[in-house]
Amino acid sequence: MDNINILLIDDESEFVETLAERLELRGYVSKTAGDGESGIGMLANESFDVAILDLMMPGLNGLETLKQIKAIDKTLPVILLTGHGSTRDGMEGMRIGAFDFLMKPLDIDELIGKIKLALNKQSKG
Amino acid sequence: MENRNDKTAFFGKVTASVTHEMQNVLAIIKENSGLMEDFLLINQTGDLSDIEEKLGKCIKTIKKQAYRGVDLTSGLNGFVHTTDNARMSVNILDLVKKLISITERIFRQKNVNISIIESEKPYSVIIDPLFFQMVSFLCIECLVESFEADGAAAIDIRLSNNQAAIEFLYADSILKYEDYKEKIIHNAQWLKITDLCRQANFKAEISPGGFGILIIFE
Repeated sequence: MDNINILLIDDESEFVETLAERLELRGYVSKTAGDGESGIGMLANESFDVAILDLMMPGLNGLETLKQIKAIDKTLPVILLTGHGSTRDGMEGMRIGAFDFLMKPLDIDELIGKIKLALNKQSKG
Repeated sequence: MENRNDKTAFFGKVTASVTHEMQNVLAIIKENSGLMEDFLLINQTGDLSDIEEKLGKCIKTIKKQAYRGVDLTSGLNGFVHTTDNARMSVNILDLVKKLISITERIFRQKNVNISIIESEKPYSVIIDPLFFQMVSFLCIECLVESFEADGAAAIDIRLSNNQAAIEFLYADSILKYEDYKEKIIHNAQWLKITDLCRQANFKAEISPGGFGILIIFE
């Protein structure tokens, strides 16, 4: 697999660091950001293939972060993470331009499946 | 005053906050147990060095999150049991601390940091604990909504020194004192606060000495 760069944005550092390690064991290159502002800053300086973004974050929340990500890179696929009972926010995110959303706690295989789908769609698009 | 709706809304906000945080706890436990499985799988081919250290780190994280989960569920359980008695003797500062411990996430989302100032002379009063918690929560919401800071904001909670009262203070407001009073009394939550206080025999006043709300126990 060519280096696929993934940006993970979530304020739960132990979640995001563990997820990054699991993705790296599967051949992906992951970088993490602890809030929306830092994630946007990283996106402005580096190139990523996919972003994974938590919807519930302090400061700039997930949907606001998504809007800013789309303003920087309209084509970047963004997969949203949401809690059960917050599907409305996930749907709203897709309306704004997210590729898809997943519920926490995650299933790693499901996430990998979504990442592959997002990359396929982008390469065809 | 739609008391039932307000109570339901309050319970909804508190439980949503705790359960959301529990989902994060479970997500971290799930990812770490998954990572342990990944390590063990890789180790079957003998490729993994320092496996004990790697597994130990995951176990430590899982343990930490289990304690966090216990704190959250204990906090929620304690909160639910405050409805057991319509009136009881309550250590005001302790009850506020417990409420903040399970609701701070709601305000952290809005970049608001809440501090509870320890008192040299904490005291207890006989009140309806649920009403008091609703009033406290509304006071914080009212301040957050009234002052809507662009960046991070802070709210201090402290006992009054010269009367049986608790004060919710918005720190570092850029508003003039005359303007802030208008902002609070025109906020929708202020009406609810004064109404709840009337029912619970508390009194709500605009803080005389700062940007905040004073709840007096009569």
